[in-house]
Order: sequence, then structure tokens, then C-alpha cells
Amino acid sequence: MDASAKPANKPPRAVGRPIWPKVPAAFVRAMLAGHSALGLAFAALIYLVCFSGSIAVFTQEFTRWEQPAGPVLHAASPQAVDRAFRQALVVNPAAHDVMVQMPEPARPRLSVHLDDAKGAERTFLADATGALAGELKTPWTEFQAALHTVLHLPRAWGGFIVGLTGVALLSSLVSGVLSHPRVFKDAFAFRWGGSKRLQEADLHNRISVWGLPFHLVVSLTGAFLGLTVIIVGVLALATFKGDTAKAYALFAGPRVADDPRPAPVIDLARALTTLKAAQPEARPNYLFVEHPGERGQHVAVNAVTPGRLSRGETYVLDGQAKLLGSVGYENGNAGLKVLSSLTPLHFGWFGGWPVKVAYLLLGLGLTSVTSSGVAIWLARRRAKGRPAPRWERVWIAFVWSQPFAYAVSALAALALPLAPVTVWVAATLAASATAIAWTPAAISIRLRLATAATLVLTAAVHQTLNAGRMADPVGWITDACLVLTALLLAFSTMRFAKAA
Amino acid sequence: MTSALFPNALAGLALAPLTLAGALLLRRAWRSAGPRRPWLIAGGWALLVLALGLGAVLLGGARGPAIVLALGSTVALALVASGIELRDARKTAPRELALEPSERRRVVWRGWLRGFLAGPLAGVAALGCGLAVAICAPGAVQSRMVIGGLLVPFLWAGGMAWTLSDDRILRATAVLTGVAVATLGAAFLKGAL
Repeated sequence: MDASAKPANKPPRAVGRPIWPKVPAAFVRAMLAGHSALGLAFAALIYLVCFSGSIAVFTQEFTRWEQPAGPVLHAASPQAVDRAFRQALVVNPAAHDVMVQMPEPARPRLSVHLDDAKGAERTFLADATGALAGELKTPWTEFQAALHTVLHLPRAWGGFIVGLTGVALLSSLVSGVLSHPRVFKDAFAFRWGGSKRLQEADLHNRISVWGLPFHLVVSLTGAFLGLTVIIVGVLALATFKGDTAKAYALFAGPRVADDPRPAPVIDLARALTTLKAAQPEARPNYLFVEHPGERGQHVAVNAVTPGRLSRGETYVLDGQAKLLGSVGYENGNAGLKVLSSLTPLHFGWFGGWPVKVAYLLLGLGLTSVTSSGVAIWLARRRAKGRPAPRWERVWIAFVWSQPFAYAVSALAALALPLAPVTVWVAATLAASATAIAWTPAAISIRLRLATAATLVLTAAVHQTLNAGRMADPVGWITDACLVLTALLLAFSTMRFAKAA
Repeated sequence: MTSALFPNALAGLALAPLTLAGALLLRRAWRSAGPRRPWLIAGGWALLVLALGLGAVLLGGARGPAIVLALGSTVALALVASGIELRDARKTAPRELALEPSERRRVVWRGWLRGFLAGPLAGVAALGCGLAVAICAPGAVQSRMVIGGLLVPFLWAGGMAWTLSDDRILRATAVLTGVAVATLGAAFLKGAL
């Protein structure tokens, strides 16, 4: 947060004694220096992680948008689940692990994901009878999710960098709050126009303060999720002679010994019926079968309880569909319950679409806090007679490169046989290169307009490619949202041009 | 984490007017300096707390407050945005009264040391604290691991904020090194969960 916001002239402010304790100016100035240094060092990473995270909230909806033809299912019988599983195994008998995702409100599809020892992965959709109805291909959804979680780097490195970014964000929140002595006095002040620095400071501080609970939650959970590999690795080093599998096993529930001898493939219909009898309230949403067709095969069935802040309880059944027990995510100790709540809390997957929309808006707010933080630093330099025009151009180009690159990669994923990440890198570089030639105002306006045009084009291409077979309403809704976003972006350039 | 009386997600929207009313009272208090101001502040906070409590009862012990906080923050930000004060960009800005970040002498070795303290050393010290909790604290092993794990980013962030703002970097070096040695030593000495 920036302490440069000064008292507004209007409306008249209270004259009583301040509630907030007086913070020594030297302390605030030192905190501001640390806040500034950290923010600048991690600005681009924090911006990228926050922007990609805001979009990733709608990962399930993007899956539906990319393949809107369905089959759209609201429920699947145990027999259909078993049939889909067996049909998929016929396609790839070498599958080592199989994940069957059952229809649920946020993702009304029955799908089977196969993963073999050579690393080949395929996902199939099934209809209400369990018959395979085609392959699920959602390259853009996978691209945006991987960009947020691992930055398209190897899992350990990507997770660590994202986790470290979360730590830097959390640290910025701490130093920001401590360097904001006017937190109550300026609680509702939001001035636009006039001094650039005060305008950006108001934007920065108001979003930071009112979004603070959300900012703390996503940065702490994000840092934890990203740093898990390191934390578990060190823990395993101290207690299990470096064997991380033993550490992870503490969170995996009952164990089934590995036995590669062949056996009849597990009956998932029976497994689901057994679970239903033992846990009538359980609502299974996915099944994870390990080593199908081996004596050591077993299935972990995850079941959600409506109204809980949890990823669901996981039940383990052996190859004969005998219930061995549960992990304890909902019925175990406090640590397991907390662990089970972290992913839903981080992504906003616990309160339906209202919370998802709130997470999108708050996430974009946090993204703009990052952007305005650098803008404040640049404006401060300019005000002191030490402008950094090159950095002003580079930063604004990077800021608007991301909406543009996301839009271009989505369009390319629909229309061209190109990897979205390649397109995203190229579009980011192209947009950032505008810093060489254009002024900050021109960069901002033109990239926003280019993004708006690309979004409209994306919606049009999506409609054309799926004409007459849009079974999932989310296809229509997402296209409408893309057009609405384009209109808002175009409108914002008119306001910006007028203000300039 | 109790179950919800109303598991339907849309029930969360029903509590949004309560948080809006709380924020409106707080804004009225912020705008007026009259004798009613303390009552408006108390009423505003009471409504926000009430929304959290009702959320816990109606939407689930952990899920309800999380929903109320997410929707409430959004509603409050919308209220702040609705009170935007437009200013004339052509007018000269008045002299600024705000505090500036402290100016530090640019010494290369201090910059590198500060970076080392905020990054690797604070990270190792935080990891040591988390590990010590996971290994040495009482309670179920999974609880210790999760609490210890959550402490790591939190303490690392605190250490980062401290080392980047504290001018006495040698003190910070000594404290962080001491914490890292003590906690990692305790964890590795015990060596079992």
C-alpha cells in the first residue's frame, strides 16, 4: 500500500481522535521502503500469477466452453460409470491410472482420463449409458491452469516459483498494512483525475484494504500449495531419509500393497454401490483407479458433502470393491480438514457462481493493485524530477500484454493446431515490444482495443465452430461474457482518451 | 466445520444486503463528524459481524464466513467505487503531505545481503520453524504437518517484510541464523514424526 494518499477536501471529515494508534513516521517510511523494494522485485511475477489466477477460477467453465457439445449429464448410474471405465481401458489397456470424473453441477460431464506408464494421457467423454462419445480436448483450459500453477515450468520449479511469488505477495500485504497509517481515515476516499500518483494511490489502497481478507487467503493458500514440494521434501529428509512417498502416504488413507499379478478388472459399479450402502449421504464426484487389472488394484472414490468447505472425503476400496476406510478429509483430524479446504478456498470453488464471480473481481482487483503499485513508484519518480520513461512504457505494455495474450491464445486454440503456450509467449513478446515505439497512453489504448477485437473474434469463431451443437449453456454464457468484456474494454479506452 | 442448513450456494447472496448495510453505515460515519458517529461505527461493524455469524449458522461453520467475506469484500468495493470523486486533471496538484519511503544509501553489499536475508535465509528459518512444529509439537501427525506447513509461508513473508524494512541488517542476520539453526537442529535431532 502507498502512504501517498492525502486527505480529501470533500466531503468533510471527522475531527475526533483517531482510532488507529499513532504509527511513528520513521517506521512507516522504513516499511514503505521495504514494501516498495519487494513489490518492484516481484511485480511482474505477482501480476502474472494474480491475473492467471483470476481467470483460473473458471477452469471448469472453460472446459465446458471448449467442448460445449457434451454429452451434458446431470447424473450417471454406477453401471454407466463402470461401462465408460471398461470401454476406455479397451482403447488403452496399458493404462496405469484411470480417473473417472462423474457429472456434478460445475462440470456436467462423465469423463475417463487414462494415464499409462509411458506418460501418454487421453481423456474420453461418455454418454448416459457409459458409451464413449469422443475424446475430450481442452488445450486452452489446460494451458491457463498450468500457467497459474506452474508457469509451464517443470512441476517442482514452477510450483516453487509460484509459491515464492505467493510469499512475496503475503509479505507485501504485511508491509503494506503496516505502512498505511490512514487505513480508517481514508477508508472510503476514492479520487480519480488530478494527480496521477494520488489517483493510483487511492486505487491501490482502497482495493488493498477492502479486499484484504481475500488477499490474505489466496496468498497464504497459494504459497502453501506452491511450496508443498519443498516443505514435504525437507520434512521427508528429516524424518524418512528423503523418501517423500512416505510423507505423502500420511494423507492417502488406507494402503493397498502393490501386486502386479493380473486379476479381473475392478467393478466400479459394485464399488459405488458398496459406498452408497456404507455412506448414503456421500455424493461421489470422481474415482481414481490405480493399477487396473492387477491384484494390487484399488480405487479412491471422492465424495462431496454439499455445504462444506472441503474438497470432499476420499474412500478407498480394494480390487474386490471392499471398503477399506477413508482418508479423513471430512471426518478426520483438524489438519486433514484444513488441508481439504485449501484448494476450494484458493480458487473460490465453494460457493457456486456468486463466489466465483466475486473471486474473479477480487482477483482482478489484486492484479490492479500490483499494476498500480508500480505506477505509484513511477509517478513518484516523475514527481521528484527523476522520470523513468522507458520503464513507464515497459510496465504498461506488460500489464496490457496479458489480457491480449490470453485472448489471442484462446482464439488460436480454437482455430489453429498450435500449442496455446507458444501463442501466449509470442503474443506477450509482441505486446511488450510495443514499448519500443509507442507512448504509454497509446500502448494502453491500442492493446485494450486489440484485446477487445480479439475477444469478439474468439466468441464469433467459437459460435461458428459449434453452430447447431451447443448443448451446454455455458458455451453461450461464456461467449456473451467475452463480448461484454470486449465492450467494457473498448468503453474504458473512450474514458481514458477523454481523461488524457 | 459444521454442515450447512442451506447448502445451496445462492443462499450466500441473501446475506450480501447485510454486509452492504454495514458498509453503508460505516461510510456514513466516515462522512459525518456528528455525535451519531460512534453509533454508526458500532452499528456498521455489528452488521458485518452479524453477517459472518449468520453465514456460519446458515451456510456452514467454515464455508459460511468464507462466502460472506468474499461477497462482502466485493460489495464493499462496489460501494467505495460508487463514491468516486472525479477531479480535474488539468489543475495543478496541491503539495503532497504523504510520507515518502526512507532513502537508503546505495551500498552494493548491503543490497545483496538484504536480498539474501529476505529470500534464502528467511526461507530456511521459516522452514525450520515449520519443521520443528511438524516434528516436535503435540497432536495428530497430519495436523502438525499442515499447521507447520502453513506457518512456513506466513513466517517467511514476515521475515521478508522485516529484513527489507529494517536498517540494522546485521541484527536481522543474527536472529534469522539463530532461528534457523535452533529449529532445524531440533527437528533433525528428533528426526521422527
